[in-house]
Amino acid sequence: MKKRILVIEDNPMVVKSLEFKLNKEGYEVFTAVDGRNAMEQLEAENFDLILTDLMLPFVSGSQLIEHIKKQFPSIPVIVLSSATQENIITDAFTMGVDDFITKPFSPNELALRVKRTLGKI
Amino acid sequence: MDILPTSFKDWPIILEINLVLGISFLILAFMLLCVVFYLRIYKNMRNSRKEKLEILLLDFINNYLFNDEFDKSKEIMEFGARHLKTGFDRKIALKQLLIFHENLKGESSALIKELFFGLGLYNFLISDLTKAAWYNKARALFVFCHMDVKIPEELVEPLINSNRNEVRQQAILYLLNQPADNPLGFLDKVDRGLTLWQQIYMEDSLKNYPGDMPDFSKWLDHKIASVVIFCLKMIADHNQFENTPAMLKLIDHPDPGVRQQAIISLRKMEVQEMLPILIHNFPRESTALKQEILKTIREIGSEKELQLVAPSINSKDRALKIDYLRIARYFNPKIAGSKLKAFNTDQLGLSKLSL
Repeated sequence: MKKRILVIEDNPMVVKSLEFKLNKEGYEVFTAVDGRNAMEQLEAENFDLILTDLMLPFVSGSQLIEHIKKQFPSIPVIVLSSATQENIITDAFTMGVDDFITKPFSPNELALRVKRTLGKI
Repeated sequence: MDILPTSFKDWPIILEINLVLGISFLILAFMLLCVVFYLRIYKNMRNSRKEKLEILLLDFINNYLFNDEFDKSKEIMEFGARHLKTGFDRKIALKQLLIFHENLKGESSALIKELFFGLGLYNFLISDLTKAAWYNKARALFVFCHMDVKIPEELVEPLINSNRNEVRQQAILYLLNQPADNPLGFLDKVDRGLTLWQQIYMEDSLKNYPGDMPDFSKWLDHKIASVVIFCLKMIADHNQFENTPAMLKLIDHPDPGVRQQAIISLRKMEVQEMLPILIHNFPRESTALKQEILKTIREIGSEKELQLVAPSINSKDRALKIDYLRIARYFNPKIAGSKLKAFNTDQLGLSKLSL
């Protein structure tokens, strides 16, 4: 059975590329363009992994991660963000994210990290 | 009023004028409405074309980057011929490629460049650089700079001194981001002042420069004051202490902006040798420069230097007076308030303040 990944990102280009690449890698990809929509999907569906940006409309990435870690602690979270400041990255790991990828990112590297994170489950 | 039918001829002249004007305005309003409709339809058509092309491009680029079964050479030819026919189409393609280039790195970045050349966008932008419209030139330089594409320098160098700020800025950024031993070599050819934004962009680009920082003193005798000001600032930011003798000479530069930056940079580098020159120049400087000198005395000087400049402070110059009193208090926190007040009454009192 295909692993299900929820991609939360507001840049349509990044969403499309991630969807394309992860589909090619054999995953079932769901997308949400903002935190609110992501929360709705999380209530309705089951996911094996969440890939999220930090800068999101309506509900910020940090709020969303907090919510996920509270309600769905078993789902691993990978952050994909353009933030490179050490404190932001440290805060994300403190909240319990499993990995942090900075933009610009290498799609092949991202696919490997997704595979590694899912392999840990 | 021969244009009116004969039945209207008996009308009073004022009514005839009213009628003609009414009809004219009606025609004008109708024409204006037609233009508005035309522009609206044209814009909608362009937006619809843009949306369709963006979807096609997203799909095409993703296939090109991630689909191993995609026949790249054949598809790139077909896509270019079928979908990128006009300048508008190419501009949309450029925007999409730039977004991909900004977000992806590694092997994908190289493939995006391959697409850039394969879709004929390089040649499109090169032809833009030679066109008269400044915005075409600025856009072309922006894309070349952000896509890390090298172009013949003879195409860029004339644009360093373009009449438009935007073009000059993009030309400078392009040259700064090119891998070279001398990233500021273009400054030798600059014959127009650098704007504050240009200086900020240059400073920012230099932060990411991987090689050795250039010796900024090379341009301390440049004919353009803003170039000298920028180099003075950079010398202080990059701690090039070996350049302090050359900087000291600029305290007597004819341009007040250069003098001010020389004082600021030398102060930042804590060069105390400038204090006697500053005290000597103090009486003939403007208020802004006098304030800069007072600030310098506070930071790297002493009470003695403050007393030396006191006689040259005009008691009517409130800003200077306040600065002086603050520094006097800083050097001597226990100074009596009455002594400070004495400053208001006579200028001579100044030199006695800290006694």
